[in-house]
Amino acid sequence: MASRTEPKRTNVPGISFVRALDWIEEYRLDKNGLQILLVPDSASPVAGVMVTYHVGSRNEAIGYTGATHLLEHLMFKGSKHFNKKNGGDAFALLERKGARVNATTWNDRTNYYEVLPRALVPTALALEADRMRNAYLRETDRVSEMPVVRNEFEIGENNPAEALDKQLWALAYQAHPYHHSTIGWKSDIERVPIERLQKFYADFYRPDNATVTVAGGFDVKEVLACIKKEFGAHIAPSAPLPELYTTEPRQEGERRVMVRRASDSNLVAIAHKIPGASHGDVPALLLLSLILADGKASRLYRALVDTSQATDVTTICYQLRDPSLLSTLVTLTPGTGHDRVEQTLKAEFARICTEGIAAKEIAKARQSLRAYIASRSDGPYALLSSLNEEIATGDWTRFVTFPEALARVTAREVQAVAKKYLVDDQSTVGHFVGTRL
Amino acid sequence: MSKDFAAVREFALSGGGRLFVAPTNARDLVIVEGSVRGGPNLVPRSERVLPALAAALLDAGTTSRSKNEIRDGLAARGISLEFGSSGDRTRFSGRCFPEDLPRLLNVMCECLNEASFPETEVKTAKALALGALADERSDTRAQAERAFAALLYDASHVNYRPSVPEEEHEVRAASRGKIRGFASTLGRTGLMIAVVGDVVAAPVHAAVTKAFARLDNRILAVPPKKMNRKQAQQQERHIELNDKANVDVLLGAALPVTITHVQYHALRVVAEMLGGGFTAHLMQTLRQRDGLTYGVYARLAGFDDGADGYLKVWASFSPARFAESVALLRKEVDLFFSKGLTELALVQTQERLVGSYLVSLSTTESLALALHCIGQQARELSYLSDFPDIIRAVTRADLHAAVALIPIDKLALVAAGTIGKS
Repeated sequence: MASRTEPKRTNVPGISFVRALDWIEEYRLDKNGLQILLVPDSASPVAGVMVTYHVGSRNEAIGYTGATHLLEHLMFKGSKHFNKKNGGDAFALLERKGARVNATTWNDRTNYYEVLPRALVPTALALEADRMRNAYLRETDRVSEMPVVRNEFEIGENNPAEALDKQLWALAYQAHPYHHSTIGWKSDIERVPIERLQKFYADFYRPDNATVTVAGGFDVKEVLACIKKEFGAHIAPSAPLPELYTTEPRQEGERRVMVRRASDSNLVAIAHKIPGASHGDVPALLLLSLILADGKASRLYRALVDTSQATDVTTICYQLRDPSLLSTLVTLTPGTGHDRVEQTLKAEFARICTEGIAAKEIAKARQSLRAYIASRSDGPYALLSSLNEEIATGDWTRFVTFPEALARVTAREVQAVAKKYLVDDQSTVGHFVGTRL
Repeated sequence: MSKDFAAVREFALSGGGRLFVAPTNARDLVIVEGSVRGGPNLVPRSERVLPALAAALLDAGTTSRSKNEIRDGLAARGISLEFGSSGDRTRFSGRCFPEDLPRLLNVMCECLNEASFPETEVKTAKALALGALADERSDTRAQAERAFAALLYDASHVNYRPSVPEEEHEVRAASRGKIRGFASTLGRTGLMIAVVGDVVAAPVHAAVTKAFARLDNRILAVPPKKMNRKQAQQQERHIELNDKANVDVLLGAALPVTITHVQYHALRVVAEMLGGGFTAHLMQTLRQRDGLTYGVYARLAGFDDGADGYLKVWASFSPARFAESVALLRKEVDLFFSKGLTELALVQTQERLVGSYLVSLSTTESLALALHCIGQQARELSYLSDFPDIIRAVTRADLHAAVALIPIDKLALVAAGTIGKS
């Protein structure tokens, strides 16, 4: 049934072919530097369009934290040619025809996407092109949308894991903007002026800071022509993109945070500093995270869940553009003490450092990744979403090359990165302590 | 079958079971969604936690292999396998590479047939269940959902949900013997299984037939469901939880129909029109116009396994604007039922429902779930391709007939959060 075709160079004047890797084709719009990725699957009746902007909460500062996310909401309020007044807003044109329309914001990127019947791809591209430079961004919309975003913030605050995670990052990062979460601080959400948001939009939402990806059922030549027509209407601003030059100073000792709230939930988290996604140690760190907590056969599941200390444990190796975190979060069972779980976690980290990893653990982790790689291409959204995270690191080819790098990781290398990064002095420990309701 | 679903095949299994096989464009991925008869609806009211505990323990050791042998064996092949239970059924979900499908099926059957329920594992499963319940105590959404079901249904109804303390008591009272007793009723009876992805139908049929032949064909009777005896009444319950930044609100009513009712699909369209997405009435008014909420959605729920279900509107509100938000929610729901059933809204909703249905089936997982659901609901396979036409056939007269089934002047409301501050 597989209907993906081998990548090939398609000629459309004004669009340069850059390269093809696996079944992904990369092009560039000559006029303004827009990056284009195409992943055709001719038999699919469904396609997906995603515009990834290389801007996220990493590009924000005090006073306008959450700006990228707030703009995510405001960019659904209409643009010059697609708006409610002319009956052409994103939801009327696309969701009413069955499309899945949404956007997401993260540390290094924000994306706007549509998963839709293939016939609607040109409409989605036209809409995305228009809101790239022509979004309304009106004060009246900010005023009406601010409480919506604040309510989203409030929903997150109700979640103990999210509340602890915010504090963990805020303590682990003092200078770098990974300090604040993508939704921002509540007072900034409420009070950021529309002029600040408009400047942020003008600075970052531009063709030379974006990637358009189309996946699923579509005709390559037609889509390239459509992208040229719609996105080619923009020129790249002459002003250079604002540069983030702040780096996080070296951490000098373990940091600790406690969140006390009326709750029956109790959590422990430990986050260790790790390098950015392009660093050579990251493949081994990702395998380490899987060995620690991927599934019921993992080390931490056995040490914590099988012993009734915890109901759940997860370890995430955040692959971000700048130095990041390897973060483990444990949800405690009633009556289990935070200190005991913290000690168990640290003992398991120490065991890997001293005893190393068994070859069969590496084999299991590799199989888990093979399963993930199969899942990430299951339907246009899964593909767009996972490719988008690689785009956000600054190098989309990791989508293809990273699995190859993972396959080369040895047990000794996993032990080496454990010794190098699972270091108390580079860790931040968090306890969420539920007090009586 | 339309051409989009022409590759989907159905096979009859012995004992009345049904197998659906659907090759898709997925590479190196097979998803299995299945279930057998045996779930919380089929045990005494005071023992409704037993199926969930049993499901949690099915892969925690069998008569031939230990828990770690099973879990290591699966992990070594990149196979994932989960058991769960709801309604009349014990469910199993798995993912594997194409070459490992027979292995996954065999492990599923081994767990269903030979689980040994070691005493230490029972103790752990109970501790984890109690932990999950403890987390629910301060979870605004979970608290609202429980209280809502208890407001709508009489205590003997399958959709009724006990309080957290009641369920904690049931967990503590669950013994290994009772859990084993329930698990011993699980067999091939009522088997529904969908295998979707990088597969070929005939070998899958052979593998499923061979693997599930190991299961006994036990007769587990399904007593007729009792319809809800609780009268609808306008009522409002607030659950006060401290330190909460957001209030979860549920509004709705039990409906005196099952999925076999002639207006069931019209009810689905009504729910979609009211709160099925961004373009639906509630999001357009409460969020887009008034900025009162991040999310407000309407859904039909509780219709599994032949139960009479309910209409549920969920909304999230800021405590600071709680009273105003609830008043406007009620007002907009009333307005929708009195003036919102227009021809234009119907046509737009039909187009959205049909389009989103086809988009949603573009993944292996969603197709597997849809096929399993067809089996669970005892529908013909043709329902998969007929669904768009069924939705398109709904008329305004159907909408009005459907709304007549909703006690719109007697909706119940539950709110959970730090409401007092409002």
